[in-house]
Amino acid sequence: MFKLRKAEPRDVPDILRLIKELAKYEEMEDRVMLTEKDLLEDGFGEHPFYQCILAEWQEEQSNEEPKVIGFAMYYFTYDPWIGKLLYLEDFLVVEEFRGKGIGSEILKLLSHLAMKTRCGNMHFIVAEDNRSSIEFYKRRGAEDLSKEEGWRLFRFDKDSILKMAAPAEE
Amino acid sequence: MDFKIRAAKQEDCKEISRMIIELAVFEKMQDQVKISTQELERDGFCSNPLFECQVAEVSEEQKSSQGYTVVGYVLYYYTYSTWMGLTVFMEDLYVMPEYRGKGIGKGLMSKVAQVGKEKQCTRLQLAVLDWNTRSLDFYIMKGARDMTASEGWHALRFDGEALDKLAAEAPKD
Repeated sequence: MFKLRKAEPRDVPDILRLIKELAKYEEMEDRVMLTEKDLLEDGFGEHPFYQCILAEWQEEQSNEEPKVIGFAMYYFTYDPWIGKLLYLEDFLVVEEFRGKGIGSEILKLLSHLAMKTRCGNMHFIVAEDNRSSIEFYKRRGAEDLSKEEGWRLFRFDKDSILKMAAPAEE
Repeated sequence: MDFKIRAAKQEDCKEISRMIIELAVFEKMQDQVKISTQELERDGFCSNPLFECQVAEVSEEQKSSQGYTVVGYVLYYYTYSTWMGLTVFMEDLYVMPEYRGKGIGKGLMSKVAQVGKEKQCTRLQLAVLDWNTRSLDFYIMKGARDMTASEGWHALRFDGEALDKLAAEAPKD
């Protein structure tokens, strides 16, 4: 059976393991640059940049340590039209534990957190070829803003940022 | 034209709120603006601000036809990539129409890049509407990549009723 709880500093190795597993699922495993040290400083330091929920599994009547088999990483963003939002950055249940309702429970907990912390909406991105995830979210009422409103995600990488940050010629 | 880019102060929220509505009108979504000056003051100038803001200001002599000297703004916050770490997300970038073409938009965006660089952000991200070709061209010219086109990322949202419904089914604490 499973239990959901807030991540603690000791969970950082498991969080990194699941981040890499999710990246692998998205076929972008080699893009994960973060280390356990980064995750520890960034999530459990003086000013956390993210929050994390974990799903733990323990076999009934087992003395073994519970295993971390799912996670959701989120933070708060801001929409100047409606205010505070909950942004879901990463969300995964390990393959062998899917189909047991764990993902649903995580999503429900996040929604509850969103309401409790005065968030108007919950946002996230999904790759368009990830049909099973898109269906999972749409079944629960999510709207595809890229499709319905035409929003496109743009990114400036480090080189472009450095170029823009250089003193202007004016 | 001389202009100054500076960090927004609490007193600027009235002007920022005005320009948020102007930008929403431009994006043809003005009926979706639900918050006002008070919420901006509360959310941007508390002990744990949810966003940061820079404004573009001109002198009295160059004030707008309606008497405004704050003529542009950029509103941004920090997000976290599990692959790369801290990222800066540029939520709104706006310059009043009569002040465009003078480098103000570029100035505001450069300021965000500077702030991001100081905080060691590895990325600056933003969302643009697909019909907004003028903005798309502006960002691409400065080096931005369209991640929706190149990697197929779509933005999804649970709002209002859908969020309420999900929350109502949450496990009790």
